[in-house]
Amino acid sequence: MLTQTPEADLGNMASLLETPFIDPTAPEWLQNLRQQAWTDFQNTPAPGRKDEAWRFANLKMLELGQFQPASKISPDAKSGILARSTGLTSIAGRLVFANGLLLARQDISNELQSKGVRFLTFDEAIVAIPELVQQHFMSQRVALGSARLAALHKAKVSTGTVIHVPKNVEVALPLEIFHWLDGQNSTVFPHTLIILGDNAKLTVLEHYQSTNTQAEGLAVAVNDLILGPGANLTYVSIQNWSETARSFQINSTELARDARATNMVVNLGSTYARYESASRMRGPGGRSDMLAVNVASNHQEFDQRTLQDHAQPNCVSDLLYKNALSDFSRSIFAGLIKVEELSHKTDAYQKVRNLLLSDDAEANSMPGLEILADDVRCSHGATSGQLEKDEIFYLLSRGIPEPQARRLLVVGFLNEAIARLGNEDIEQHLNALIAAKSAA
Amino acid sequence: MSTLSIQNLHACIASQPETEILRGLSLEVPKGQVHAIMGPNGSGKSTLSKVLAGHPDYTVTSGEILMNGESILGMEPDVRSRKGFFLAFQYPNEIPGVSNANFLRAALQARLPDGEELDATAYYKLLYSKMDMLEMDRKFTARSVNEGFSGGEKKRNEILQMAMLEPEFAVLDETDSGLDIDALRIVSKGVNALRGPNLGILLITHYQRLLEYIIPDVVHVMVKGQIVKTGGKELALELEEKGYDWVTETEAILA
Amino acid sequence: MSTTAIDIDREVGNFTYDIKPYRDSGFGLSEDTIHYISDVKDDPQWVRDFRLKAYQTFLDKPMPTSWATKDLEAIDFSKIRYYLSAQAKTTRSWDEVPDDIKKTFERLGIPEQERKFLAGVEAQFDSEAVYSNVKAAVADQGVIFMGSTEALKEHPEIFRKWFGKVIPTGDNKFSALNSAVFSGGSFIYVPPGVKVKHPLQAYFRINSENFGQFERTLIIVDEGAELTYMEGCTAPKFTTATLHSAVVELVAMKGAKIQYITVQNWSSNVFNLVTKRGIAHEDAEVKWIDCNIGSRLTMKYPGVVMKGRRARGEVISIALANDGQHQDTGAKMVHAADETTSNVISKSISVGKGRATYRGLVHIPKHLKGCKNNTECDALLINTTSRTDTYPAITVRGTGNTTQHEASVSQVSAEQIFYMQQRGLTEGQAMSLSVNGFVNDLVRQFPMEYSVELKRLIDMEMEGSVG
Repeated sequence: MLTQTPEADLGNMASLLETPFIDPTAPEWLQNLRQQAWTDFQNTPAPGRKDEAWRFANLKMLELGQFQPASKISPDAKSGILARSTGLTSIAGRLVFANGLLLARQDISNELQSKGVRFLTFDEAIVAIPELVQQHFMSQRVALGSARLAALHKAKVSTGTVIHVPKNVEVALPLEIFHWLDGQNSTVFPHTLIILGDNAKLTVLEHYQSTNTQAEGLAVAVNDLILGPGANLTYVSIQNWSETARSFQINSTELARDARATNMVVNLGSTYARYESASRMRGPGGRSDMLAVNVASNHQEFDQRTLQDHAQPNCVSDLLYKNALSDFSRSIFAGLIKVEELSHKTDAYQKVRNLLLSDDAEANSMPGLEILADDVRCSHGATSGQLEKDEIFYLLSRGIPEPQARRLLVVGFLNEAIARLGNEDIEQHLNALIAAKSAA
Repeated sequence: MSTLSIQNLHACIASQPETEILRGLSLEVPKGQVHAIMGPNGSGKSTLSKVLAGHPDYTVTSGEILMNGESILGMEPDVRSRKGFFLAFQYPNEIPGVSNANFLRAALQARLPDGEELDATAYYKLLYSKMDMLEMDRKFTARSVNEGFSGGEKKRNEILQMAMLEPEFAVLDETDSGLDIDALRIVSKGVNALRGPNLGILLITHYQRLLEYIIPDVVHVMVKGQIVKTGGKELALELEEKGYDWVTETEAILA
Repeated sequence: MSTTAIDIDREVGNFTYDIKPYRDSGFGLSEDTIHYISDVKDDPQWVRDFRLKAYQTFLDKPMPTSWATKDLEAIDFSKIRYYLSAQAKTTRSWDEVPDDIKKTFERLGIPEQERKFLAGVEAQFDSEAVYSNVKAAVADQGVIFMGSTEALKEHPEIFRKWFGKVIPTGDNKFSALNSAVFSGGSFIYVPPGVKVKHPLQAYFRINSENFGQFERTLIIVDEGAELTYMEGCTAPKFTTATLHSAVVELVAMKGAKIQYITVQNWSSNVFNLVTKRGIAHEDAEVKWIDCNIGSRLTMKYPGVVMKGRRARGEVISIALANDGQHQDTGAKMVHAADETTSNVISKSISVGKGRATYRGLVHIPKHLKGCKNNTECDALLINTTSRTDTYPAITVRGTGNTTQHEASVSQVSAEQIFYMQQRGLTEGQAMSLSVNGFVNDLVRQFPMEYSVELKRLIDMEMEGSVG
């Protein structure tokens, strides 16, 4: 059950692009960090047209002048949000944020708490596990183009989620986090930090949604996933902001030896959604699966940049991104497999598949390889095509109407990635969301 | 002197010097004879074949390998080959883009003195006659070495190479594994055709079945990196009947 | 496998004769240099203006180091001579070529190849062609084959129509540089329906140190005609950087076929920065067969603009990057009409500390139907220090088109080498066989005379250098 939380102060969110988040009660290190990040944000130039990391992207989406700090949620809106903050049927815990404030929570069981599992807001974590937070908060290098936005996030973020699962503890059921964006031109900075100890195991599902499907808004999210030796994390984020919102999401995964990460992003909402995902092998024997399911329609543009960084030998990374593009939508995929010197016995794969469903849909693919070791197996593939006429005909011949036949085939196309999660509850949930969007 | 003589051979995997795989193995194969080594999985049979061929993954820690009285231990694999040693691999490698004909030609050319060119006409004549013996299609010559070959085709190709390179001593490593009866018959026919006073053969096998087609003069039983029993061809039958446990127990008594 | 490199036969072109230049622009580049070149070549005014304008574009454009290698910064434009010629005019007979220059081309086997299998040859020595001849039978069919400097005066009506139209001056910094100081290169016109049976060949020789060669080639193959053109190149190995920056424009009219073959074997001090592009009209085919073995840095991405319906574009590419070399090659396929198809097959081998990079661009814009692209890139890494990169960019729109891109990286495995050694081959021979096997299917696409030469070039001298 969700428990409502007392109203917190929004702090000085009066001006979005004029000051960092100032909280005199925060620990000194954090105040300094925010100040430094603010300086970095101001000193980092905005990306230009010649910037490879932004090739093919619509740079107008980086002009953020119209956006304002989010305001408090009205009591009416609040009850609506709480009613809609449901995802999976069986979960281990839940946090609900709206406009950057915690609205409600469903705590993890006493058993998990007694095992040392922490499912906290950022401000709680600073008090409860200060060393871990200080060590890992925004510690990942932002390598895929959004360093400026990451600095903004770091300077502005006021709360977020911190999860810590200690050594040898497995959390069987998923944790869920909801982020809501409410109001016209509102801005949020969703932040998630997950730290898994040795051999710990966890599944996290994160939802990004808007209260009003027509409202413009801005989200700059950061997810840092830190896996200790032998740890196993499944992380799924579902970007479903309003179709007029702009979304920037910076996702970093760090794997110690023998760790295993399965990281999926689902993009359904936003007019422009930029997703950067870097997976870094920090010890031998790790495995990282990077998955994406993107359903774009109207004038949506999904811009995705990925890095599979093999700095250690004997690791596997396997990326599969699937884009189903309707109407005037565009996709951009730029991926890089980087195998550093002496990272032998690396298996690294990268596949992007574009399904073009209309004459005006556009797919841009830039799959890249940089290989500096010779004893490796690496390949990448990028294809763009359309639904097979024979397949549609087959379904029609069985009496299925064409729009439905197409939807079925699109769901089938996307399922290759979804099925790799190996979690039926989440698969069902995702398929329902995709069906809802396809039917719209 | 005309023997392949293995004397008290000790060897390990180069990267794991603490684990000894060959632990004082000795045997002699004179020219003109066929010896078989049988043994359970993990006894070190395939290691022996690779050590004999000079595979860089293995280190010989002590002992000696003499071919016609000369030590081949310090020699590179290709020098051993040109001296007359041949290994039919258990899992022959694929070489994409290199045709069988070109590959064999290069191997034969490497055996000629500098400046001497292989006679192409004579080469193809010999190649075709050996292929006929092994019931191989002529199209075979243009295919890349072992690429896309079935298990049987790969093994036949190994015997074809042996026939062409005319070694003095040949080790056949599990040549029978993965073969159906027809393929086994053809491969055995090829090996038997090559038997003669100028060739010593060492068959490494897990199964007695092969020895019904290629009758050995001597059978050795290998357990844990040593020869634990040597006898005539009837030993193979005895093993088949009683299983490897029988020798393992024997070895336990010996130890 | 060890980290030591292997040597390949680059000695064939590593010699030089001391030849006094007849004309020398001196070091550095300025408007005066351009006037010097225009004066020497007696350019028409429009060419002089074209050059001066291009020079400004060159100055305005930054080095493309935002995406390309920083090694470009090693080029010092002030330490290069932009025009050197050894004799006053191009001759049609080898007998009239000065002895030392003739000896140079004889050592490279050019006159012999001409007798054996070529329909015509142009031999360029530094900035100018010293010899140019086309066999009578071919000339009688109306085929024009001459230096571009001559052509712009003798056939301005064809030349001006296409010159700079396939590759605009401002395409990139080096196309602008070439447009400012170009000299030499071939002009070919094949009249409608004429199928030139034997290849025409150009051979580019750099003889002088601190020199830049900037040839400009324009080939127009008229409706239904066919042509195979081959180019080779060598330079002696100097200690200082040498620059080669060509622009090659191809035009295949309706139903025409052009096959353009390059075997690039520059010495390892040459920066080879070349822009090559062809336009294929309806039912036409432009095929680039490109082999890069030499140079310090090559940046070359042959392209095809498929302007007419059912046009075809193809790039077949082999690159070998040895120690100290960076082969940055690729392909650009621009689909601009329905039912156009393009195919790219690229194989690279990186040896020692060599680096091979593939950059590809495939563009299928809005509202085209039935377009297809297929791209395959395979990289072979020989040593632990070898490097390969792949950076394709594919844009496709609409429901009527398909693209497929695949790339893989592999190595010559230690087991494979051991297997061959067991059959008596040395490690070097085994490596050489494996590498030749890797490129074998592409080498077969070259005309026979060239594939033999290629195999010999790739056949590496590896005794004692690996293992």
